[in-house]
Amino acid sequence: MILTGLLLGAVLGYVLQRSRFCVTGAFRDLYLTRSTRYFTPFLLAIAIQAVGVAALAGAGAIAPEPASFAPLAVIGGGLIFGVGIIMAGGCATGTYYRAGEGLIGSWIALIFYALFASVMKYGPLGGFTEAARSRTVADATIQETLGVSVWVPVVVFSAIVAALVVRERRKAAARPALRLPARRSGLGHYLADIPWSPWVGGVLLGLIAIAAWVLSTAAGRNGGLGITTPSAKIVTFLSTGDITLVDWSVMLVLGILVGSFAAAKLSGEFRWRVPDAQTMLRSAGGGVAMGIGAALAGGCTIGNSLVETSLFSYQGWVSLVAIMLGTWGAAWFFLQRPQQAAASSRPAPVLTPAS
Amino acid sequence: MTAYTLQTNGAVCPFPLIDAKNAMQQLDAGDDLIIDFDCTQATDSLPQWAAEDGHEVVAFDRTGEAGWTITVRKGT
Repeated sequence: MILTGLLLGAVLGYVLQRSRFCVTGAFRDLYLTRSTRYFTPFLLAIAIQAVGVAALAGAGAIAPEPASFAPLAVIGGGLIFGVGIIMAGGCATGTYYRAGEGLIGSWIALIFYALFASVMKYGPLGGFTEAARSRTVADATIQETLGVSVWVPVVVFSAIVAALVVRERRKAAARPALRLPARRSGLGHYLADIPWSPWVGGVLLGLIAIAAWVLSTAAGRNGGLGITTPSAKIVTFLSTGDITLVDWSVMLVLGILVGSFAAAKLSGEFRWRVPDAQTMLRSAGGGVAMGIGAALAGGCTIGNSLVETSLFSYQGWVSLVAIMLGTWGAAWFFLQRPQQAAASSRPAPVLTPAS
Repeated sequence: MTAYTLQTNGAVCPFPLIDAKNAMQQLDAGDDLIIDFDCTQATDSLPQWAAEDGHEVVAFDRTGEAGWTITVRKGT
């Protein structure tokens, strides 16, 4: 049954690669360019999942258990994770699918992310993580505090998202899309030639997140999409041989690599790409911050910002805000400040007259 | 009007976009900026930027596996 994880992971990797869906970019560009091009579709994915999960839980098909809220660990971890994903150039899922596209820098970030997630969860710092995450407050979810059904936040949030989607679509309709010359015809043109819009990515991400609850529950793991814990499990399994760690979620993250590789290869977008030394070092540092941050916060941009948010848990929403603030701070520090300072660490772009 | 090339292969997003914006500031209206890049996300972000900032995209094509080139003419 855990093989359904591999299949769903492959679908997820394929969708992310084709739609260029990047949660890091979605958060970062709110600040850098005031763009909501990927942020609104991401909110749409949360809303779709929230409706699906509330309906399935109501029918008794799944039994989600929102995480208890440990404010310090979630805020601190979220900020660290946000800084890490700017340094690494992608969030956890983003790093998986870019690794599948052949980016060596993403492989480095991925290895350090998984290693430090393992250190924090199963290794020498496991006690620290547990202590930090056990300082919880009373209520876990918004509906618990308000004393209402989960459908109240689901309906209110979905209405807000619907309004944002309509506004965003009107804005985009004014601008014709620019296309690369077609290389495939028929179905292949849609599957492995043209890029998919952020909207297609967001809707499919929401549906995949619902399917994850169903398939994971059927495989004996009560949970939805998750990236950090399985990444830590892979490292721990490789070093201990403990086969019980290999579960549905491990198959899921391995599937992302397979799916994004297939999507990139079929679309002519796979190539081993080696960055310069500075980018590699920054990717490694980003990976370390991602592993530590996600372990403390109890999840990454998927586990917390996409899945826990759809349960309306405080952990989900507070960490989404913390991660976002982390990306904004890091975007200023690593992307804006070097340009503003005369002594930039990056050389100015070199312009040469075209012959 | 003059054409300039900006080589960003190897740079990960959002650096191709950041470099393109910087380079564009040095150009005069009507000049062409030919940007070579190999970051997949820039296939989305560069045309978006050109449209939003009022520049014209005069060419956009692949240059092999996971490589692209876009020519942006600076707007007034």
